[in-house]
Amino acid sequence: MNEQISALLDDEIALEDAAHIINAMLKNKDAAQAWSQYNLIGDAMRGNAVLSQQFKQNLMQKIQIEPTVLSPNTALVDQISHVKHANKLPTSWAIAASFAAVMVVGFMLLNQQTHNNNELAPMEVAQADVSKGVAADEGIPTEYLNAHQASAPSASAYYIQTVSY
Amino acid sequence: MALIKQRLPTSLCAIFSLLFSLLTSINAQANADEDMWQVLQKAAVAAHALSYQGIFYYQAGTQSKPIQITHMFNGQGEFARNVVLDNTPREVFSQGGDLTIFNPKNKNVVIEKRHGQNMFPAILPTNLDLIKQSYSLRAGEPDRVAGRAAQMLFLDPKDTLRYSYRFWVDAQYGLLLKSVMLNSRNEIIESIVFNQIGLMDTVDLDWFQPKIDTKKTYVMEDEVVIIADDGVPVGWSLKGVPAGFRKIDQMIRMVHGKSLPVTHLVFSDGLASVSLFIEPLSKNIKPRTGRKLAGGTSFYSSVSNGYQITVVGEVPEATVAQLANAVFFKK
Repeated sequence: MNEQISALLDDEIALEDAAHIINAMLKNKDAAQAWSQYNLIGDAMRGNAVLSQQFKQNLMQKIQIEPTVLSPNTALVDQISHVKHANKLPTSWAIAASFAAVMVVGFMLLNQQTHNNNELAPMEVAQADVSKGVAADEGIPTEYLNAHQASAPSASAYYIQTVSY
Repeated sequence: MALIKQRLPTSLCAIFSLLFSLLTSINAQANADEDMWQVLQKAAVAAHALSYQGIFYYQAGTQSKPIQITHMFNGQGEFARNVVLDNTPREVFSQGGDLTIFNPKNKNVVIEKRHGQNMFPAILPTNLDLIKQSYSLRAGEPDRVAGRAAQMLFLDPKDTLRYSYRFWVDAQYGLLLKSVMLNSRNEIIESIVFNQIGLMDTVDLDWFQPKIDTKKTYVMEDEVVIIADDGVPVGWSLKGVPAGFRKIDQMIRMVHGKSLPVTHLVFSDGLASVSLFIEPLSKNIKPRTGRKLAGGTSFYSSVSNGYQITVVGEVPEATVAQLANAVFFKK
């Protein structure tokens, strides 16, 4: 079954011949999971944007970091609205943008629902890791080592995983 | 007198010939050095431009791992797959500068994305100018690696702020076959060596896909919040960064377990890289001061003006300490 799903994704099976595969995916949980996993792998390999599980938390965190402007500069607001009018986008763009906004909100709600039950668990793990990092007096703190290895140009860290969460 | 007159030209001749031979030997030495830089330059390019597959061993400390590599340049793009051959085989795919890593962890396979990282044998930058500033290069004896004739090169630091390297370059194709990093006591910190290597003459990309484990769940890694930084420090400045190191990246990121964002700067001398982290101290987190050395990675942390400063890198301890002390806070 998995091979057929993979073949369908690779366009090796015509859509009209794939009714039985699609039916199987609707009924069989494993087949449906295989379909979504193959899509995730394909997206990751092709470099398509993939929303991570922490998308919502990270977005909220980013918003928190943003400075809060309490008194906007009126001259600047006028200037911005002037620029906006000058570069007014076609109406279809506005429709597309609101559709995208609905999609994002929908995704966030869905994410919230599915993750509501286990949201606390990763937080606890994270806290435990931190206390361990502070108390451990032997190695280099993993949080900094990981950040360094993720951004430094030398990539030998992938060969031997000295640290793992 | 006649005797002196006769002798003078002879001694002058001797002096001139001595000078001449001295100059030519200096010149020859300069040419030989330039030739060696050409060999290294060729190695930097060959790692990207050739298509090859093989197995190399990565060794650091007591750990050693075999890695299978397939690398292809098909005229339009560069593709590589690295598979770490151990109990939990990790697959690293690179296409251009983008890396996708499939990392099995317990019941999951975590998919990680990275950008702009150099994997063996492509560890040298194609522009060697920065390396030339901080290292000197000389030829070693001809040697053999993975059954192939190789030119050995010594890349030694001009100061004590970085480690030294030994490279073995394929005499025929120019590919880097072996790389060794040593500390000032000539102890090997890290070595990467091809055990077998061969060129590929295909442009087929069938191999450029992960081996899927249907028993595992594939998940994207936790997204790390990174905010582009305009590079203008607000409350601090840098003075006395270790010689030869240039800032190559600056970002504001969330570090695992930290509630406040951390400013992260990455420095490189062309080969070695060092990270500098600057973050405001918060009440919940204990300030940390001290230094550590694990393998070739040095760590230094200090506290200054209510900020935690942390430096990590594959450089000697003196270098991380100097970088940490190069941060000055504006009063």
